[in-house]
Amino acid sequence: MASSRAINVLFLIGLLLVPFLWDSFVAYQLGLFLLYGMVGQGIGLCWGRAGFLPLGQALFFGVGAYVFGSALKLEAGSLFLIAGLLAAILLPALIAFVVGFLVFIRQIGSGPYFSLITLALTMLGFQLANSMDWLTGGFNGMTGIPALPGTDTYETLYYVIWAALVLVSGVLAYVGTAPFGQLLGATAQNEERLQYFGFNTALLKAIAFAISAAVAGLAGALFAPHQGIVTPQSVGFLLSAEIVVWTAVGGRASLMGPVLGAILIGFMASELRDSFQYWEVLIALVFVIVVIRFPGGLWSLVEGLAHRLPSFGAKGARRRDIETDKSRANGPVRLAFEDVELVLGPVRILDKLSFRIETPGVHSIIGPNGAGKTSAFNVLTGRLKPTAGRIEYSGAPVGGLSRHRIARMGIARKLQIPSVFPDLSVDRNVDIALWAGDLTLTKMFTLRPFRWSTPLLNEMYDIFPFLEDGRQPAGSLSLGQRQKLDFAMTCLTQSPLLLLDEPCAGLSSSETGEMIDAIERIVGTTGSTAIIIEHDMQVVERLSNHVLVLNQGALLANGAMEEIRSDPAVQAVYGGGSK
Amino acid sequence: MMGSHSLAINKLSGGYGDITVIRDVSLTVEPGKVVFVTGRNGVGKTTLIKLIAGQLATQSGDILFGERDMRAEPSHARRAIGIGYAPQESVVFDDLSVRENLTLQYRDRDLARYEALFASFPRLKERRAQRAGTLSGGEKKILSFCRAVAEDTRLVMLDEPTEGVQPENIERMATHVATEAGRGRGFLIVEQNLGFAERLADHAHVLDHGACVYDSPGGPGLRTRLAEKLAL
Amino acid sequence: MELVALQGLNFVYISLTLALVALGLAVVFGLLGVMNMAHGEFVMLGAYSVLVVQNAGLPFLAALPLALAVCAAVGWLLEFFVIRHLYRRPFDTLLATWGLAILMREIVEAVFGRDYKSVNQSLPGTVEVLGAVYPAYRVVLMALMVAFFAGLFLWYRRSNTGARIKAMVSNPALATAVGVNTAVLARGAFIFGVCMAGLAGVALAPLVRVEPYMGIDYLLSSFFILVVGGLGSLAGLLVGSTVIGGSDAIVSAITSKTGGYMTVLIISILFLWLRPNGIVSRD
Repeated sequence: MASSRAINVLFLIGLLLVPFLWDSFVAYQLGLFLLYGMVGQGIGLCWGRAGFLPLGQALFFGVGAYVFGSALKLEAGSLFLIAGLLAAILLPALIAFVVGFLVFIRQIGSGPYFSLITLALTMLGFQLANSMDWLTGGFNGMTGIPALPGTDTYETLYYVIWAALVLVSGVLAYVGTAPFGQLLGATAQNEERLQYFGFNTALLKAIAFAISAAVAGLAGALFAPHQGIVTPQSVGFLLSAEIVVWTAVGGRASLMGPVLGAILIGFMASELRDSFQYWEVLIALVFVIVVIRFPGGLWSLVEGLAHRLPSFGAKGARRRDIETDKSRANGPVRLAFEDVELVLGPVRILDKLSFRIETPGVHSIIGPNGAGKTSAFNVLTGRLKPTAGRIEYSGAPVGGLSRHRIARMGIARKLQIPSVFPDLSVDRNVDIALWAGDLTLTKMFTLRPFRWSTPLLNEMYDIFPFLEDGRQPAGSLSLGQRQKLDFAMTCLTQSPLLLLDEPCAGLSSSETGEMIDAIERIVGTTGSTAIIIEHDMQVVERLSNHVLVLNQGALLANGAMEEIRSDPAVQAVYGGGSK
Repeated sequence: MMGSHSLAINKLSGGYGDITVIRDVSLTVEPGKVVFVTGRNGVGKTTLIKLIAGQLATQSGDILFGERDMRAEPSHARRAIGIGYAPQESVVFDDLSVRENLTLQYRDRDLARYEALFASFPRLKERRAQRAGTLSGGEKKILSFCRAVAEDTRLVMLDEPTEGVQPENIERMATHVATEAGRGRGFLIVEQNLGFAERLADHAHVLDHGACVYDSPGGPGLRTRLAEKLAL
Repeated sequence: MELVALQGLNFVYISLTLALVALGLAVVFGLLGVMNMAHGEFVMLGAYSVLVVQNAGLPFLAALPLALAVCAAVGWLLEFFVIRHLYRRPFDTLLATWGLAILMREIVEAVFGRDYKSVNQSLPGTVEVLGAVYPAYRVVLMALMVAFFAGLFLWYRRSNTGARIKAMVSNPALATAVGVNTAVLARGAFIFGVCMAGLAGVALAPLVRVEPYMGIDYLLSSFFILVVGGLGSLAGLLVGSTVIGGSDAIVSAITSKTGGYMTVLIISILFLWLRPNGIVSRD
């Protein structure tokens, strides 16, 4: 938002003026909290945007401090210092990436597990810092760290810190706006759905965590010359906890909120701690109240005032002017299920299910409740792992692979309940579909992908005009519109195989008619293969030449609609009806 | 089975926060009667049921059950007072087994009270140890239906009970509803399946934009009459 | 032989108390879904209860009802004023309870001071067990804990309370529809959970240093026990406590506390990675 930008800039300018408005000693003391604020900004990226909370950032801060402190002490020339600085930034990032990735690939929405592991790591760090005194100076710390060459710790270092803050803020702002940041937000809102678009969400989160660790490492590196001493306190639990508190109070979802929190609470607390005995208790109370009542933190109050400011750098209507080619593999899709079994506890959900689909167009899967229709989709898309049997997609085995890998092979899935990213705009939801499978890691950090467009997108706007009103949040759409958006997104991936689970569920009869037309049109245009699970025979009849009937986890019948209709086995088991 | 327990809604208005979705809706469900509420998507059918179930706050109007003003009662008390409810979405406890879903509100884990229902829906009995979240959409609806019907409530409210359920099972559901109504229980059913409505309804209401725009007694031809009102 | 018996008894004692702490967290986190970052602080309150009781000249076991009362009261306040509003917001619950943990630590520090206290060990009565002379009160406590776990197991099997709690958390609207009084049930479960932690604190007090920050280690330990043992069963809890308590004790004795810590952390990460549902998966 443009007004946020103005406030952020004003805030930074204000910080620059502190040595002039007060004196350089105040600036020196404030500098420490700017560093802590930077750590908080990294936490904000993880927590405010991506939805996971690291509770042990001091570990990375401390590592950065010890590493760069050692480099400074060696006084071996500027090249060495630069190497030291890089190490101070990259080592924490590496640790964070590895730990984060290991934890995130196992769980969706790792939440508390992740947080507690980071907490344990910071405590471990504290213990190691204490005991490895040959490296760290032990309990008394690494002392005698000289000033940063070319700066005076009490005068000019502040400007270096300020510059680092500006740099970090700029980088984080950019990362947040770039596709990477948008995908982080999507991960927080609907991680599983994002995986069906082919995105490796564990990787995304691990990268975000690594960025936050790098920021913390940089802050720690500057901490070393600022304080002249690094103790285990800089690595430990207490500091981690305090910074989280300041971030929360300042405003976790904003760029500058954590810095504001560190300044107001941290800095002022250190001034007032001696005069007021119960200051800590008071802060804890404020923290709890902010969490319960004001999740936006203090910064949201500041932003409230910002509306009066002129906005600059406002974006005009975004133009989609880069045609991307999303056409995929040639030739019809070949899907084969061979004796696939899925056994959960005592129940055989899929019982030697075998079938082949080798022509484009719409195929329907019908069958009584509990026949295994959605389960077939589940094993095909990686939501469940088949107990036995083989699933092959265009010659490659698919069973047991992860969701995002299967999606990247060219299989798109629409779940039964409409699943969009509610807090992102309709435009952004569409973007994510366009990016699916084609957004490399490097492109994720550029702004070009926002301008992507495909011919199919224009056709989609034609079929569903409401999509052109792109700015509204997807969560505010009606159920029918969300179904349509979800369907559009699934198709926009231009995957050769589309799996649609009850696409007309919850729609009225007129909306059902619209959806049928849309499916027919899209499948015709793209030449893709669509498999639909449906109960409504009217839909099945209109759309598909090929119908598969499932019953009790196995294939009962297979053929054109008229054949199926007249098959006595099918009639015995399943009558069919319509709304 | 004492007293008459009619549900009487009188000029009820309500919605979400200060948004009014339901406007001045009135209807009655007498013991032993089956009343249907239908309408296009988004007209407020589920909102109406949620208001009666106490899950949304009302803005004006009355909800009376027997002599009792239901608006004064906390939502969880309805079951004990005699109003059962099967919601439209999130219809079962996904993390619990089918058996737990069916017995958690009772003192024991006995499935004996479900004998008649299991006879109609043997699949459900087979799956009793399975996690309810792994059932198909239609099976979940059947589970939810059985749970609500087996409660000894005077009034049963069902929101889209047949969504995703295949026709034979819909027919069996209808049989059970008819039997229970015969024993004096009242039913308030929200449905888009007009065939089901025609089969069972003693009375039907059509909602549009939160208000009742049409009502009709049940009987042959109901389906056509309702379809007419629902057509765009 | 005598030494082995002594170490063995201590090991059992510690494992049981850890299991008790973890039980509290299992109810609060495993069932209710509340990541109570102040869980360790309730252990701390239990430990301080022993201090208070001893300073007042009362027998050790009087700390049990005191700890129960204090934890129940604080738990009630916490649930009513804070947790209750945040059931649907897991992050904010984590954060709010963390803030409350800080608050609790600061208050205790303000009242009792920051330094370590130790609890009087010379209590009357010893018993001979397997050739070792062991304090009687510990034998009593162990017997009580075992009886408690057994009773809880039997009760849980038969009652529907666990199912109701899980139901209420995952689908509160439906739980209300079937007549579950979610507010009361949630409050009761939370208070039960924190009281378990408090009682464990009483049992632990004679063995550890009592100071305001003692709780964090127990938060982490009980969390790791749940990771290893799984969230769903008492058997898992006991297995988890043994694995965590055991590996910590063994490795710490061989190398150092840091080594023990690192071992526990690595085991937990491995479990998280390879067996996310723990050793004993949910029934």
